[in-house]
Amino acid sequence: MTNVRSLNAPTDDFAPERDPRSRIIGSGSPIREQSSSRASTGRVSAALIVAMVVGAVAFSWPLFLSHTSAMSAAQAPIVFAVVLPLVLAVVLTELTGGRMDAKALAMLGVLAAVGTILRPLSAGTAGFELIFFLMILAGRVFGPGFGFALGSITLFTSALITSGVGPWLPFQMLSAGFVGLFAGLLPKASGRIEIGLLAAYGMVSAFAYGWLMDFSFWPFAIGDGTQLSFNPDASPLENLHRFVLFNLATSMGWNLGRALTNAVLITLLGVPLLRLLRRAARQANFVPVSLGSTLAE
Amino acid sequence: MVAEGTAPLTSLHPWAWWCWAIGIGLAVSGTTNPLLLALIATAMVVVVMLRRSSAPWARSVRAYLLLSLFVIGMRVLFQVLIGGGTGETVLFTLPEIPLPEWAAGIRLGGAVTLEGLIFTLYDALRLAVMLLCIGAANALANPRQALRSVPAALYEASVAVVIALSVAPQLIESAQRVRKARWLRGDAGTGLRALGAIALPVLADAIERSMSLAAGMESRGFARTQGLPVKRTLPVMLLSVMVATLGAFLLLSTTLWELAVTLLIVGLVGTGFGLRAAGTRLQVTRYRPHPWGWRATGVAASGLLAAAVVMGTGWLDPTGGGLWPSTDPLEWPELTAPMLLAIAFVLAPLPLTIPRRFAAVSSVRTDVRVRGLRAVSRS
Amino acid sequence: MITFENVSVTYAGAARPTLRDVSFTLPEGDLCLVVGTTGSGKSTLLGAMNGLVPHFTGGTLQGRVVVGGRDTARYRPRDLADVVGYVGQDPLRGFVTDTVEDEIAYGMEQLGVDPVAMRKRVEETLDVMGIADLRRRPLIELSGGQQQRVAIASVLAAHPKVLVLDEPTSALDPTAAQDVLSAISTLVHEVGLTVVLAEHRLERVMHAADSMIWLPGDGTAQLGSPAAVLSSADVTPPLAALARTLSWAEVPLSVREARRKVQALGLSLAAPATEPAAASDDQPALTARDVEVRYGEISAVRGVDLDLHGGDVTALLGRNGSGKSSLLWALQGALSCAGEIRVGAADPRKLSAADARRVVTLVPQTAADLLYLPSVAAECEQADRESSAEAGTARAILRRLGADVADDHDPRDLSEGQRLALVLAIQLTARPQVLLLDEPTRGLDYQSKAQLHGIIDALAASGVAVLISTHDVEFAALASRKLLLMADGEVIASGSTSDLLTSSPAYAPQMAKVFAPVPVLTPQDVAKGLA
Repeated sequence: MTNVRSLNAPTDDFAPERDPRSRIIGSGSPIREQSSSRASTGRVSAALIVAMVVGAVAFSWPLFLSHTSAMSAAQAPIVFAVVLPLVLAVVLTELTGGRMDAKALAMLGVLAAVGTILRPLSAGTAGFELIFFLMILAGRVFGPGFGFALGSITLFTSALITSGVGPWLPFQMLSAGFVGLFAGLLPKASGRIEIGLLAAYGMVSAFAYGWLMDFSFWPFAIGDGTQLSFNPDASPLENLHRFVLFNLATSMGWNLGRALTNAVLITLLGVPLLRLLRRAARQANFVPVSLGSTLAE
Repeated sequence: MVAEGTAPLTSLHPWAWWCWAIGIGLAVSGTTNPLLLALIATAMVVVVMLRRSSAPWARSVRAYLLLSLFVIGMRVLFQVLIGGGTGETVLFTLPEIPLPEWAAGIRLGGAVTLEGLIFTLYDALRLAVMLLCIGAANALANPRQALRSVPAALYEASVAVVIALSVAPQLIESAQRVRKARWLRGDAGTGLRALGAIALPVLADAIERSMSLAAGMESRGFARTQGLPVKRTLPVMLLSVMVATLGAFLLLSTTLWELAVTLLIVGLVGTGFGLRAAGTRLQVTRYRPHPWGWRATGVAASGLLAAAVVMGTGWLDPTGGGLWPSTDPLEWPELTAPMLLAIAFVLAPLPLTIPRRFAAVSSVRTDVRVRGLRAVSRS
Repeated sequence: MITFENVSVTYAGAARPTLRDVSFTLPEGDLCLVVGTTGSGKSTLLGAMNGLVPHFTGGTLQGRVVVGGRDTARYRPRDLADVVGYVGQDPLRGFVTDTVEDEIAYGMEQLGVDPVAMRKRVEETLDVMGIADLRRRPLIELSGGQQQRVAIASVLAAHPKVLVLDEPTSALDPTAAQDVLSAISTLVHEVGLTVVLAEHRLERVMHAADSMIWLPGDGTAQLGSPAAVLSSADVTPPLAALARTLSWAEVPLSVREARRKVQALGLSLAAPATEPAAASDDQPALTARDVEVRYGEISAVRGVDLDLHGGDVTALLGRNGSGKSSLLWALQGALSCAGEIRVGAADPRKLSAADARRVVTLVPQTAADLLYLPSVAAECEQADRESSAEAGTARAILRRLGADVADDHDPRDLSEGQRLALVLAIQLTARPQVLLLDEPTRGLDYQSKAQLHGIIDALAASGVAVLISTHDVEFAALASRKLLLMADGEVIASGSTSDLLTSSPAYAPQMAKVFAPVPVLTPQDVAKGLA
């Protein structure tokens, strides 16, 4: 990655009179995160890793909910609905604050807008979730941090407009963020292999998203007392077994639909979209800066 | 006729309404008494009807009611099909179909008991009222107004959200234009190939738009008063988040709830401080920010007090204080004084807030247009 | 106020510098017009005043630009926001929030102005721009002129000393353009701002300009008084063409000035020979009777009757919102409407899209909506396939239209005129009998408009009936023989162009106003009348 430095650090001191023949080369600040120093890449990675750990805990809560705890199964998502926004706030602060300039934010906002209008188009038809393929492609082009931010913000914005804000929203934001995040971490490839890789990732991530969301809201959906319910007395393995059956019975159709939609859209629209997004990234990414290199002409 | 914009919709800070709703949600999650639940639900609906605005998003309560009914129905269905069959009073019996071993030996059908059904109904009712809390919060406090009160550290993220909300209707218009243009080129087909022909110009337009938008933002001074990220805030915030997660984990999996709650609160406070410190690098000011007055505190407190009353009754009284009427054997649920107090807290915002006087609100195009896409996609 | 010292700008990957050794000084309080054909570097010049070039767009800038005492090398665009206010081409694309009041406050929020001062400034700005009654309206509901004024207000709120505007009136009808220009004039004369304005449609702005910068296209720039610059520039508004025809040293900047000069010189002009009305015994190519278009309860077009004959060029004039676009879409058959429409024997509404295209074809306002393939060659091939024409037809038409663009260019990279030509070629591949053009002159400079005029003439000569909807009166005077005036959804007048345009003072082209009562429409008519 080219090492690009922002041209003018915010400073008020005036340099002495410049030779009018000297030239400045605009840096144009790229859309990719300006991780111009190791430390800042480290900060972002640390935040994302913490998010993954917290996500792992939050999504698997039915497995370690104990019968003797003070909280019941109905209250557990609420506890996490309080913790998860913290995580999201911290990670988004790290990703966007001071690191994304106007171009990156505008691109983020506009792509989130596209996702927002895609979401109600798929409502009512089981599993045709149109928002994920854009997150995956954008995460691929602009990097894992951008992908995470795009995933969370798309879900948040579409919730503001259509489905409303509720305790499921932080879970959705986190999992959608992960979809974008891991899309940015996929290995390098090009051409048809890349499209195949992205389509496969689309299918995998669709199922993963579905499972994560269903698992964390499983006790809500079915309640206690049935044979497929979460049983606090049973071992984690048995609960998992029950969950798999429950999932097969109910949401498999949705997950399958989501996976197929992702794969189809990525295969069809992947090449031109990647071209468009890469062109935008290129147009915003310029010559490395060399400030004040005077010309002795 | 007031249009949505900088004029606050109710004079109440949106987060006050959300605190109220979350408090009631917590209260509701601690009981399965159907009488209490029904009364709380009625109280909430009354508050919503009397205090919401007439903007399109405020009518979302109906959607939440439908969702709750759907969940109740699904649960009852599951109970009938694969219920445990505990209890004495058998209503009717379905033929049993045992499933093979790999399906965990589940028996479809079997006896359907009254106790089992009532248990499911109580539980589902609780869930329905919790969903109603969320619907009420959405109807009373525009989440987009809440965006203005976001902590300074999340300013850039809120800018991205604001951009997304403003650009979405423009993109819809762009998509409609491109669809009409497809007709002009002789291709009226809908389907996968047409999708590409419509999606690509819209996306290319969106990307170009983002560049012009960024140029405009830059020219108007975006990020001018912004410094570099503050150095030591990240370790503090990450640590606080881990502490809070540990607290949640302990709360759910052990009986050490005092320790867990302490850890949770420490984590929350730590993150709050970290975010505030991270926000000091920004000196952006707010135009007409929402004031937080004593009314807002009152409304927020009422929700939390309702939660405290219900939770307190449940913990203090060893028999449960009527909060969880048993279903096996069945007994009639009853209302006690603390429950009435909780319901009074639910109704507290009514005297505390001023009713909306304006009859109609100019439409918020974003919400109306985007929701209209659902109708379009169905036709 | 603004000083350029030996400024050269080269974009990354460009073969030649966009600006070469440009030096000038603009005094404070001037209204300066930047003129030049498309691609001559106007946007680059304006961007350099703001610091967008090179900090935002990238590239190399040699030399020095000093604006309000600040060197753009040391100050990024955001640091210059309180000195220079920049309004880009499409204001709707630059809006960050969704209501008027929030948009105006946005810039001040970024600058950290305290809330009390913000309130005061918002109110002041609303009054200065005359948009106080719009304060809570959503931005997408505003008309073009209102949006432009809100965009200007939003940069004014930061109290800059310079205002830079890139083509503010190109998309506006004459009334809205007048509103915007008078607001700008107020800012220059009352508030004391320095305004730099790039514009294609000079005839509306010329008289208000104090100085003019001309970019010939080779990278240099010439600053001078408008009258002097226009006399040698390749940008020829009607009055400049008049001055050249009459060999005047200085170009008159307003109709009144030209008229006085003409009267002082005692010029007399022979009325142009009225052409005999074209033999209209042949069947009209398109007949429409009692067309009505409704959007829900609103009736956009009511009771319109019209006939289009092959070989005729008809112009449709009317302000924005009078129903011109709806009428054109209805005639193409794309919009459901009541009434009778017939092209030959067929009703385009009942035909399939592909068949309707072969009979009546429309080029919409945003021509780029039709383009979605990655290269010009791909678009041409697709056009051949869609129209069931043999391979190479579209390419041949494109070459004949005079826009020879390389095959592998991305259509998004083309200039406005080239894109319009490409879309025209695509639509003409179907060899329709009737061609409808919706606002084709938006964003075109005078040369491109002349080229478009040539294309339309050639089409008419080959027997196609052409209907152009526009609010560019000069272009209508140039290109059309017949005219339809539309207002409030109805056609209020129809007749020959010269009759209608010369009979109304509001719609008259500048030549008609200068030489009234002689019914001349264009500088070419004047030249013929003198000879």
